[in-house]
Amino acid sequence: MREAKKTPRPLPRPDIYMNTSPFWEAAKQRRLMLQYCKDSNRYQWFPRPVSIYSGKRNLEWREASGKGILYTWTNTLVPWPDHEDRVPYVCALVDLQEGVRMLVNLINCDASKFREGLPVRLAWEKLSDDFNVPVFEPT
Amino acid sequence: MGKRDIAIVGYGETKVELRSGRSSYDLAGEVFEQILDSTGVAKSEIDGICVSETMSETSNPFWPVFMAEMLGLVPTWTQVNGLGGASTIAGIARAASAIRDGLCKIVLVLASDAQSSYPPTEQGVQRWEFQYQTGLRGPIGVFGLFSQRYRLQYGLKDEAHAKLAVTQRNHALMSPNACAKLKTPITEQEYLKSKYVSEPLRMLDSVMVCDGASGVLVTSAENAKRLGMKKMVYPTGYGEITNFNGDKAVSDITETGFSVAGPKALRQAGLAPKDIKLFTPYDDFLIAILIQLEQIGFCGRGEGSNFILNTDMTYKGTLPLDTSGGRISAGQPGLAGGGINLVEAVRQFVWRGRRTSGRERE
Repeated sequence: MREAKKTPRPLPRPDIYMNTSPFWEAAKQRRLMLQYCKDSNRYQWFPRPVSIYSGKRNLEWREASGKGILYTWTNTLVPWPDHEDRVPYVCALVDLQEGVRMLVNLINCDASKFREGLPVRLAWEKLSDDFNVPVFEPT
Repeated sequence: MGKRDIAIVGYGETKVELRSGRSSYDLAGEVFEQILDSTGVAKSEIDGICVSETMSETSNPFWPVFMAEMLGLVPTWTQVNGLGGASTIAGIARAASAIRDGLCKIVLVLASDAQSSYPPTEQGVQRWEFQYQTGLRGPIGVFGLFSQRYRLQYGLKDEAHAKLAVTQRNHALMSPNACAKLKTPITEQEYLKSKYVSEPLRMLDSVMVCDGASGVLVTSAENAKRLGMKKMVYPTGYGEITNFNGDKAVSDITETGFSVAGPKALRQAGLAPKDIKLFTPYDDFLIAILIQLEQIGFCGRGEGSNFILNTDMTYKGTLPLDTSGGRISAGQPGLAGGGINLVEAVRQFVWRGRRTSGRERE
């Protein structure tokens, strides 16, 4: 039997456009951190150098509940390069209780049974000893 | 009625080719020569240059300056627009401002890209950390997410997309510049059977990346008269918005910047959707056409499918759509793709909407 093509799934490259190491350090302990704007008392995703609400840098990292609902999804049949092993896989936008929307993979799921507002919860996928990435699954 | 103080006096366009092996500069040179030949304007009269950002040359931070050098231009006003497919039409708006402000008199607005021949530039930023590891399939994945959300909110009739696909393909078949690989007739059934890439997006929902270039020559209406130009198109309305809803963490993704830019352009021109006789939207994906119909105001939210099914959008119809095939069926020359529909609109004006095939028109 011919072996399936094995390509390493790309690892995240932290600290490229700003210091995101607090996020990835917490992820190692399976804790999801979001930036919180202390001026407007609102969360944002993904990490930015300033608050998207106030333009100020009065930001801190806070742990998220990991609870959310499904906003939209796409079942990927033709993969992005280096994801050939995973086909089919689901990319989704998930709305967290904290008021942010994240692009994530959904796991342990059946795409044909998805519906708008499906409750989902945080899970983690270990990509390497250094990287856990946040994924979600139906509750 | 919008202002008529600025005029587009010439246009040029290369064939759209898959892996042409030509550079953005070479493609632009072909457009430049066409414009000089067709307008009779002397090269020395052109004192402004405005180029679109590209996928193939963006790593060169002096791209517009090198372009001037390649074309032998000595501009007093130089501009590069990083607005993707909107860069060409944005170039006309910026050229108009520059001309009104006296910075230059005649502007060459160029879009040229060889994305299928040169390695694309990396867009970077958060994508390395928070996008690539999910495997989202780039723009196709983004539009998969978008299409699914639209379907949840409004419902979408696949036969409306099938009709758009066939309409555009038929237009490309008549266009001498459409990509040869796409010059094959398709049927609505073939669209409906084309394979899913990133559900609910099908292969035939998407563009094919190619090489190509287009451009227009912009000056004041007064200067156009001085130059003895006979054929002029007046850009009378314009709207633009970038990073729409980007100051919110959560918003309705089906509501796009067209809901702001479209009505603004119409207001400025003193026109309503019912006055529009030709529609050349940016069509990186078929659903983008539907969204623009709704959000510019041809129909209400969620009514796009029915509007498409009830409207003849062929070149003979009441609202002809992308009469040179659009990017979907003429090919997508990277970030120069926005020039295809723009130049086709100018061409239709110049030829007064003589709705014959491309070859006869030329």
